[in-house]
Amino acid sequence: MAGALVRINFLQRPAIILYSIGASLPAVAQRRLQGTSAPPPGTPPPQTKTKFGPLADQDRIFTNLYGRHDWRLKGALKRGDWHRTKEIILKGSDWIINELKTSGLRGRGGAGFPSGMKWSFMNKPSDGRPKYLVVNADEGEPGTCKDREIMRHDPHKLVEGCLVAGKAMGARAAYIYIRGEFYNEASNMQLAIAEAYQAGLIGKNACGSGYDFDVFMHRGAGAYICGEETALIESLEGKQGKPRLKPPFPADVGVFGCPTTVNNVETIAVAPTIMRRGGAWFASFGRTRNSGTKLFNISGHVNKPCTIEEEMSIPLKELIERHAGGIRGGWDNLLGVIPGGSSTPVIPKKVCDDVLMDFDGLIAAQTSLGTAALIVMDRSTDIIKAIERLTAFYRHESCGQCTPCREGIMWMHKIMKRFVAGNGQPDEIDMLWEISKQIEGHTICALADGAAWPVQGLIRHFRPEIEERMKKYAVRATN
Amino acid sequence: MAGREAVRKAVQQVRPILSVDREEARKRALNLYKAWYRQIPYIVMDYDIPKSVEECRAKLREEFERHRNVTDVRVVDMLVIKGQMELKETVEIWKQKGHIMRYWKESQDPKPTDFLSKFLQGVN
Amino acid sequence: MFRAPLTKVIQGRFGSPTHGITSKAIRSSAALSQTPAKAPEKIEVFVDDVSVKVLPGTTVLQACAVAGVEIPRFCYHERLSVAGNCRMCLVEVEKSPKPVAACAMPVMKGWRIKTNSEMTRKAREGVMEFLLMNHPLDCPICDQGGECDLQDQAMAFGSDRSRFTDINHTGKRAVEDKNFGPLVKGIMTRCIHCTRCVRFACEVAGVEDLGTTGRGNDMQIGTYVEKLFLSELSGNVIDLCPVGALTSKPYSFVARPWEIRKVSSIDVLDAVGSNIVVSTRTNEVLRIVPRENEDINEEWLADKSRFACDGLKRQRLVAPMVRMPNGELQAVEWEGALISVAKAIKDAKGAVAAIAGQLVDVESLVALKDLLNRNGGETLCTEQNFNVKGSGSDLRSNYVCNTTIADLEQADAVLLIGTNPRYEAPLINTRLRKSYINNEMDIASIGPKIDLSYNHQNLGEDAGLISQVCNGGHPFSKVLENAKKPAIVLGANVLERPDAAGIHTTVASYCKKLNKQGWNAFNVLQNNAGQTGALDVGYQPGTQAALKAQPKVLILLGADGGKVDREKLPKDCYVIYIGHHGDNGASIADAVLPGAAYTEKQAIYVNTEGRAQQTLAAVSPPGMAREDWKILRALSEILGTPLPYDNLDDLRNRIEDIAPHLVRFGKLESSTFGNLTEQLATSKSIENTKIDVKQKKLREYFMTDPISRASPTMARCVREVSGEEAKEESQRQAAC
Repeated sequence: MAGALVRINFLQRPAIILYSIGASLPAVAQRRLQGTSAPPPGTPPPQTKTKFGPLADQDRIFTNLYGRHDWRLKGALKRGDWHRTKEIILKGSDWIINELKTSGLRGRGGAGFPSGMKWSFMNKPSDGRPKYLVVNADEGEPGTCKDREIMRHDPHKLVEGCLVAGKAMGARAAYIYIRGEFYNEASNMQLAIAEAYQAGLIGKNACGSGYDFDVFMHRGAGAYICGEETALIESLEGKQGKPRLKPPFPADVGVFGCPTTVNNVETIAVAPTIMRRGGAWFASFGRTRNSGTKLFNISGHVNKPCTIEEEMSIPLKELIERHAGGIRGGWDNLLGVIPGGSSTPVIPKKVCDDVLMDFDGLIAAQTSLGTAALIVMDRSTDIIKAIERLTAFYRHESCGQCTPCREGIMWMHKIMKRFVAGNGQPDEIDMLWEISKQIEGHTICALADGAAWPVQGLIRHFRPEIEERMKKYAVRATN
Repeated sequence: MAGREAVRKAVQQVRPILSVDREEARKRALNLYKAWYRQIPYIVMDYDIPKSVEECRAKLREEFERHRNVTDVRVVDMLVIKGQMELKETVEIWKQKGHIMRYWKESQDPKPTDFLSKFLQGVN
Repeated sequence: MFRAPLTKVIQGRFGSPTHGITSKAIRSSAALSQTPAKAPEKIEVFVDDVSVKVLPGTTVLQACAVAGVEIPRFCYHERLSVAGNCRMCLVEVEKSPKPVAACAMPVMKGWRIKTNSEMTRKAREGVMEFLLMNHPLDCPICDQGGECDLQDQAMAFGSDRSRFTDINHTGKRAVEDKNFGPLVKGIMTRCIHCTRCVRFACEVAGVEDLGTTGRGNDMQIGTYVEKLFLSELSGNVIDLCPVGALTSKPYSFVARPWEIRKVSSIDVLDAVGSNIVVSTRTNEVLRIVPRENEDINEEWLADKSRFACDGLKRQRLVAPMVRMPNGELQAVEWEGALISVAKAIKDAKGAVAAIAGQLVDVESLVALKDLLNRNGGETLCTEQNFNVKGSGSDLRSNYVCNTTIADLEQADAVLLIGTNPRYEAPLINTRLRKSYINNEMDIASIGPKIDLSYNHQNLGEDAGLISQVCNGGHPFSKVLENAKKPAIVLGANVLERPDAAGIHTTVASYCKKLNKQGWNAFNVLQNNAGQTGALDVGYQPGTQAALKAQPKVLILLGADGGKVDREKLPKDCYVIYIGHHGDNGASIADAVLPGAAYTEKQAIYVNTEGRAQQTLAAVSPPGMAREDWKILRALSEILGTPLPYDNLDDLRNRIEDIAPHLVRFGKLESSTFGNLTEQLATSKSIENTKIDVKQKKLREYFMTDPISRASPTMARCVREVSGEEAKEESQRQAAC
């Protein structure tokens, strides 16, 4: 689930913004903020645009998203990967982290935690333990296929990103935990790593920078929960993939007991380009605090399902109309959209009309950007059945540690199954709502939240549908 | 001193139960004895006990002799009252045969007191 | 092998000051006791608006306990690592958007914890509802009923009605029952997946037999494949299980907790002296469960101690018996038996000897000694041998665990000589294992290769290694000498060897070198509960003296070890057996006087570290059996030399005159004169033969004394464990 569900719960939002005091002020930021009292360094420049998207071709980061070019080292070098990586590394960890903070990049796995800050957690004085970077390539979220595209067609972006990120946090090595089902992706990835080793780009004296850095790949065995960062760590250590208690956070005690940062593939893969083109360039896309470009996966009842790199904060309607060829049967045939992978609540058409595809915009619509994997459903969809299917997925993927998740999701699924047929009482809808609330936020990891939210979204927006079906069922039962 | 004197007086001058002096108490005891003595033939007959009148009278005497060295007037009175109650119960046939026979033999064996007997009998 | 990587991080070897706080949360409370020398400043938190000052790193649950508020929990246990998965302990913390798990979350300064707020109660009710949802409603036929955490907490924190409407549609989950062996009964449908049993098996027992399989709602606790839970501590999972998923097999459907009478007592089936609670009903011992004692057994109990109690009802001697001229033992009255015994003793004219066995209490030992001394006998021995040369058993420090059981878990280098603590004293082995996990203890053994449930170095079997190590010529000597808290544990069986004196002196004098201020490295691990007490009141170890004396009368006080037989005794020797089981001793006796077992008398036992404790009478002795000291007292009266005590208090006064430490229950007296040992030493020679231990495999653990030999449960254990071990062995060979 690619960290999609990790919530920011250990820092309040103001703290996030004010965090990076003490780093040097980047030149771009200084230029933009003439005359005003200087904001702390590493602050992304304020956004002046009011219209977002479409993204110009020269601003695309993933230039081989569709595999039309060579994905191997030669092709990657042609596309600008590994360009002056040595210089980036030699600029040092502070510069990299600062540039990343300026870019305003937020974790692409779903939780949207500011990556610059996450990396800076690792820069505490060493206590002798090695540090590790773990790349979460266990992309299991239904509807999401962005990391897959990266690893298939642009694996060198990820390898280079590992090196840059590793340097930023002083990591000894990177582990790429790749989903077991991604066989081709894993073999491409492995080849890319081998090529990079052979070209001296990673390994001892990576890129000739004097920095030693290894990249290892580990294939998972196909459990969705292993995309949760601590479960991923457990799995990497060879144990059952069950989330660990936090605290201690992975930045203190992570893989093999050493400080670890777990990042999504996309987050790592965009880092080298940000370094090369500057944080301010990246921050010029999207609204403030939602900056950058993003890979969107559009699937479901659209004319042309696709994966597309687009600017953040692009309106949902424009995204679908422009890139996916519109809804099957026209925009008015839209029933609802799950905007960020299976774990986010569904939004109905009237919300879809003008919602912006970014973190804040979707939170305002009581849903979440998640992994930006849009699942589009038109009016032919049995929405209750669709959500029931998602609940079945979560029931199957729950690790079974925490009581609310283990027992609660199964119960929810039992109720949902009945609701599909309409076999239930209207007051059971309220009960289902309460149960989902009893599950949400009461477990070690966020899988249970991800299971509860779709159900909550369903009840929030489609309650009349459920009641209608119950009435029909009751009539049928009495006849 | 005064306090101790008062205490002693209070201790000495207790409220009598029935008799004010020893003589009166003695008379009461004798009266009780006579009453029992006269009743014995009827007891033997009514309860049909395997004892003769003479044996009963000897037992009566024995029971009284058991308390012959009691000097406290109040104790004498109390014993007399108990004796009267017992007599009443006997006369009214509130008792049964076994109750009468218990004057000659306790139905329960006395509990052993020395270690070895306790050990052999298995009591603690 | 379980050696938590996180615990290493926590021991301050790595953690930076700020990390220390957060990472401490995952350590178990056992590790909490090892606070660093500099006590960190206490921080203030508020529990329901009551201010409490606690050390940094304290969890919310512990802070609440300090404030006197108990947080409901299922998965959390003080002596196990924190799992944090039951979510019953969720509490609200002010300014936190969601409730936190109290068992795992370390408190931060100024936190306001609300243990009775709306959010907290909602969270508990929710978790409770989920737990009960799939929990079967079979409380009426569940053995845990009445002492079930789930029942109690459902009562206190649950909703008053069920919303589980799906009971009418799909019903509840059902799980196939598992066979964990002859002791633990698994009814897995009742399981709430707290994983306490899994953590106990991995962390304390050291067998990784238990684990979870499947995930989500299909998660199951089990042994992965069809096999038994092979551990000498398996019974503890019964106590740990908060519901009726793991219950006692021998105790199943026997009694309800509200019908039984509970008596606090002491276990005697090994020399650890574990504290126990004996549950009885209608003058019958139904079960034995552990009682908490930090110094001895923490809150665990070994399987033999727990399950052998049905041996107290079988093979018992219930009437005095005298051997008739036709060679048959015939039941007689006490009076007759005592008279014939007294006659024999009188006729012996002082040629009387006595041998005390494995389970004898101090009272009867003292009474027997007094009795014999009054009748001209001086030869009083214990059945188990020990070094008698040099200072031998004269100095107390020579035959006890000087390091003490509780301190052994702080040891950082341990040498085991000819002992298998895992089966001789399972609860001492848990201490060593704890030290292995927490202190990175180096442990080595001289003797046969055995499985101690943790990694250790086997130096070899040769007795010559002992002198090699003690001369400093062995690599392990360096380890011992460099250790801060070294310890050497000598098995009691080693000291039965002919060269016991040599081994004993060699080790003792080497330990003198190892000793530190306030730390004594020399330990003898006794395996008989009566041995330390017997040596304390002046019995000679070993049967040789008694046999050499060619006695006319030999009194066996519970001596069932089979070390005495008719061949070794004079033809006309009159053997008197006083004891509670018809075992080896009674079979060779001319007169059998039935005594009381440890659950039937108030008696003093001294454990292997020299701690005197007393049992309490839970039931009365069966039939005509009497307390042992009373038999001797009665016999003395018939002999015409009455002992001067009629009741227990008088006898205890007499014991206090002899050895005052024996009546200071629960206290540990430090042994003095330890340094005299070497001066009194005679020889240091050690024969170069192999050192052996008696109990090498689990199947050899279950039957070691008259009570466990009479126990059907233990017999079943031996049968099933032998089968399982044979199966494993054949699998191993097939794999090779």
